Amino acid sequence: MTQMAPPRQRAVRALNRDTVMETGLVDPSWLSARREEAWETYLRTPLPSTRSEEWRYTDIARMLPLEGIVPNSVDAADGAGGARAVPEGLRRAMDEDERSAGRVVEVDGRVVSAELEDALVAKGVVLDSLRAAARRGDPVVEALLATRAVPATDGKFAALNAALWSDGVFLRVPRGVLLDKPIRLSRWVSRPGTATFSRILIVADEMSQVSFVDEILSPDFESVTLANAAVELFSHRGAQVQYVSIQRMGRGGFYLANQRTLAKRDSTLDTLNVALGGSVGRVDLNARLLGPGANSDMLGLYFGDGDQHFDFNTSQDHVAADARSDLLYKGALDEAARGVFRGIIRVHEGAQRTDAYQTNRNLLLSDRAVATSLPNLEIEADDVRCSHGATVGQLDTEALFYLMSRGLDRAQAERVVVKGFLGEVLTRLPLGGVAEKVTRAIEAKLAVRG
Amino acid sequence: MNDRPILHVTGLRARVADEDSDILNGVDLAMRRGQIHAIMGPNGSGKSTLAKVIAGHPAYEATAGSVAFQGEDLLEMEPDERAQAGVFMAFQYPVAIPGVSIANFLRTALQARLEDGEELDLFDFQELLMERMELLDMEPSFAQRHVNDGFSGGEKKRNEILQMAVLKPALAVMDETDSGLDIDALRIVAHGVNTLKAENPDMSVLLITHYQRMLNYITPDVVHVMVKGRIVESGGPEVALGLEERGYEQYRRMQVA
Repeated sequence: MTQMAPPRQRAVRALNRDTVMETGLVDPSWLSARREEAWETYLRTPLPSTRSEEWRYTDIARMLPLEGIVPNSVDAADGAGGARAVPEGLRRAMDEDERSAGRVVEVDGRVVSAELEDALVAKGVVLDSLRAAARRGDPVVEALLATRAVPATDGKFAALNAALWSDGVFLRVPRGVLLDKPIRLSRWVSRPGTATFSRILIVADEMSQVSFVDEILSPDFESVTLANAAVELFSHRGAQVQYVSIQRMGRGGFYLANQRTLAKRDSTLDTLNVALGGSVGRVDLNARLLGPGANSDMLGLYFGDGDQHFDFNTSQDHVAADARSDLLYKGALDEAARGVFRGIIRVHEGAQRTDAYQTNRNLLLSDRAVATSLPNLEIEADDVRCSHGATVGQLDTEALFYLMSRGLDRAQAERVVVKGFLGEVLTRLPLGGVAEKVTRAIEAKLAVRG
Repeated sequence: MNDRPILHVTGLRARVADEDSDILNGVDLAMRRGQIHAIMGPNGSGKSTLAKVIAGHPAYEATAGSVAFQGEDLLEMEPDERAQAGVFMAFQYPVAIPGVSIANFLRTALQARLEDGEELDLFDFQELLMERMELLDMEPSFAQRHVNDGFSGGEKKRNEILQMAVLKPALAVMDETDSGLDIDALRIVAHGVNTLKAENPDMSVLLITHYQRMLNYITPDVVHVMVKGRIVESGGPEVALGLEERGYEQYRRMQVA
């Protein structure tokens, strides 16, 4: 038995160049160079202000005090790997899941386990810590990490993430391999007042099929605690990819994600964003339809109460002709919750015969709740089918009376209406237990309604 | 016991909340257990308002009179309490509840009737639902559809009848005022009422209808004619036949509001 050395003392980290350099010490040179460049981009990029259209309703400077926030990062001092106990709250969430083809557990920005069915390993599927894959010199990671999908130039937080990301998931599905069960990532943030920067890189080769469920949880925090994610999704010709994000952080959690999907010819790249937890959630999602026959269903569901603030900024870029995208985001807002949806369909020049749809519906459950919905279209082709629509409504008194006339009390009737309203989104994506899990989480939230 | 009316309406006046004048101008009605009463009347006579006031629609308020159901003051009760006491209203225009299956909705409604802490047995519920659907010649898949969402007129009526069959009310108020009711929908309602009535002769039915043709399918014990918010004539089925021949005009001339 050797005595464990006490952890090396070190200064508390901050968001600065030293931390970037220190983080990059154990990385291959291409990666540490990419980090340094990203840091320079970060410094050059101003913090988004409410004067910019895309951040008008989310005052990031006020809501997220970056000074004093401590990055959770992995460097030489943290050592590599080593099993760590899965926190109880995360364990409970994982126990609710149905079967998986593979599982990754990430705690405070560090992958503590990654498991994949042997049969899939044999078929060449790669599911690994993103950091480990980068260090191993995986050429796909080197080619695609923060280059084509979410590069540092994508904005202040994309730059910060590219400079400081500690770990995440790399998933590659080889040509023709079909996964019949989802891969699940279970993320947990435990340290109050910290910032976690993770990344997800998924590459589905031609004619492959994979679904990925990314769930993040945390306890309640008294100080603002940031979880930042950069999600890069690639579907090659004929591939089918589904990505689901379920955000169930505790109060005080600040979830900030940049997601980009790149769908090539005849591929399907669907997403579902579920926001139930945290104090603030902001998701920037850009779907790019890059080849004819490409298809993206984009689903969103949010249910806010207290003073929760959810902001979704979506765009559907039809670069190629003959592609389709269909967005449906639905939100219910109770108490003093705030929901913001800003979505744009951009049909690029030459993208003829585009089918693009965008719908945002909001249900206000209290006089104090606010929903802002800003759908938009930008069309530079003449032969397209596009539609967009937005609604903000209150509980329908006729519907409530109908339910009450069958014996449900008012609170029960309201719960039924809300569950049905949000549930419509879940029926569009039948994926191993996701609807059931999210429904249970919605029910738990409805059960505590005042 | 059986002499006491199951539904006793006396001097009922009611209006749309916040409006100045009453729609019901003193309605008197007594129904005994197991009876079928039909209320007929021209458009705007207030017959549908009576149904809504009995069920407790929040847009209507009673300004005078009383409604007793099995001796209890209905007007003091919330709509859900009325339902749990045994009142059921089949809606003229059933409301869509997107995302909620009929089966789930009915399960919630039955669960709501149980005491706190009691759990509805899911297996028993499935069995009950299947048995009720079989009774009404309905396809089991119907219960998986979302409540009235995208339903045809006939399907909406079918859904109302199924709910009635599962909830087994003591008093069913059928608001079938709609003059646009097609023959298919009319038959669904009539078949449902007759089947459930045969099963439970104690069930009382208040059938609100514009046209006599509904009474070709359901035979009432008592027919009331309502004009301008009052019942102006009551009698046996022959009253309806008289209406068929002479219309409502005779009452309009006779009555002053």
